[in-house]
Amino acid sequence: MKITVNNLRKTYDGKQVLSVDSLEVKKGCITGIIGPNGSGKSTLMRLISGIEKADSGTVAFEDKKASEETWKGITLVFQKPYLINTTVYENIAYPLKLRGAGKDEISRRVETMLELLELGSIRHRNARTLSGGEGQKAALARAMVFEPQLLLLDEPTANIDPKSIYIMEKAIRHINEKVGATVLLVTHNVRQLKRLCSYGIFMNNGSVEIQGAVGSLFEDLDNTPMGSFISEEFII
Amino acid sequence: MEYIMEGFKEAFKLLLSFDSEVYGIFLLTLYVTLMSTVISTIIAVPLGIMIGLKKFKMKKALIRLLYTLMSMPPVIAGLIVYLILSRRGPLGELQLLFTPAAMIIAQVTLVTPIITGIVYNSTRDRGESIRQLAHTMGANKKQAFALLIFELRADLLGAIVSGFGRAISEVGAVMLVGGNIKGHTRVMTTSIAMLQSMGDYSQAIAIGIVLLLISFGVNSILYHSQQVN
Ligand SMILES: Nc1ncnc2c1ncn2[C@@H]1O[C@H](COP(=O)(O)OP(=O)(O)O)[C@@H](O)[C@H]1O
Ligand SMILES: [Mg+2]
Repeated sequence: MKITVNNLRKTYDGKQVLSVDSLEVKKGCITGIIGPNGSGKSTLMRLISGIEKADSGTVAFEDKKASEETWKGITLVFQKPYLINTTVYENIAYPLKLRGAGKDEISRRVETMLELLELGSIRHRNARTLSGGEGQKAALARAMVFEPQLLLLDEPTANIDPKSIYIMEKAIRHINEKVGATVLLVTHNVRQLKRLCSYGIFMNNGSVEIQGAVGSLFEDLDNTPMGSFISEEFII
Repeated sequence: MEYIMEGFKEAFKLLLSFDSEVYGIFLLTLYVTLMSTVISTIIAVPLGIMIGLKKFKMKKALIRLLYTLMSMPPVIAGLIVYLILSRRGPLGELQLLFTPAAMIIAQVTLVTPIITGIVYNSTRDRGESIRQLAHTMGANKKQAFALLIFELRADLLGAIVSGFGRAISEVGAVMLVGGNIKGHTRVMTTSIAMLQSMGDYSQAIAIGIVLLLISFGVNSILYHSQQVN
């Protein structure tokens, strides 16, 4: 699902935190957004997902304005996902139940997700008792289970262990390659961007400074915001 | 000391003899309290959720008023309803004063703000993230509301049980608008107050024991609902 953003603005408490003149996200690809803290990455994701309204500007999917129908094919996994107060299994089954799927289909799809994200052993645990990494994986499984056309991920692998990061990246590639979902993810990790994404977006101070093939983000780094962002990234 | 022991003995005898006057009081109390709790719940749950989720003008003022009403003394609620229902009041023609209906109205006035306030608090804390999740999952409005109710289920139960507890234990409001008429509007709290003033301790103790048992049951439910969270 192609995303086209035009003149998108958002202000909080009189302070403009987002101002994106023009942005295009390619259909069927994995695109990564990087940028310093507070540069508006999460705000952009919320506006694209429709959970929040922009002050002005437009977001279009396949050149159409978003509608009830479009939302059904778009999902966002939050930086801190909200898990329903029930089992891991029921959390993952939830979007399927909303769509009126039958028992057999639910069980088949949820099993596939439990296996893909290696959550089988905690399927009966209450989702509120999960660790950070387990919770992120459960939220990703829940977002992928209904095979959305567009998957928005806000720092899905922040603060989790390498094994879980590996599993989640494998799952993200799976839904992109096997299901054809367009993936737009925010990451603070340049190596993850290079590993996972074919296109990249660099945000700074609420605007998109660079967009294009991932390689293009790493050209002309001298004395640019991207250059200093990367050098700071490698200090840690 | 003696008369207290004597009172307890008499109280148990009274309870075991299934005295029709005493049991009539229990039944009327349960009827009035359950009715007022149900009506308050129907008003307060959607209202509390709406105030918690929506942004509107005067919201702050409304919440301050709500908090004030939550701690409204029962006699005040009773007085307001009394004035409205009294013969010269705006709803005097309905002739509801000194009927169980008047008692239900007074308790609804008292309990609705309590349930609304508690529901508002939990919706304010968690409602927005639940609404956002529902949206990202592709839920329609009805499905989003169902998820909200499911997620707040323990809080809602707690709010309703608190409302019930408040209704069954108050004297002032039902005394003013019900009048404690024997066989008609006499409930547990008003009869305890009356029996005490008459020095008839055994019946007061008997009713008191049952009221305590109900309170215990209500608080057990409340405790368990908090455990679920
Ligand atoms: N709900 C909000 N209310 C007020 N300010 C906000 C809100 N959400 C984000 N901001 C502000 O907007 C700016 C961008 O935030 P965000 O989009 O979360 O950045 P990022 O995800 O890139 O770290 C920050 O300065 C942040 O403090
Ligand atoms: Mg962020």
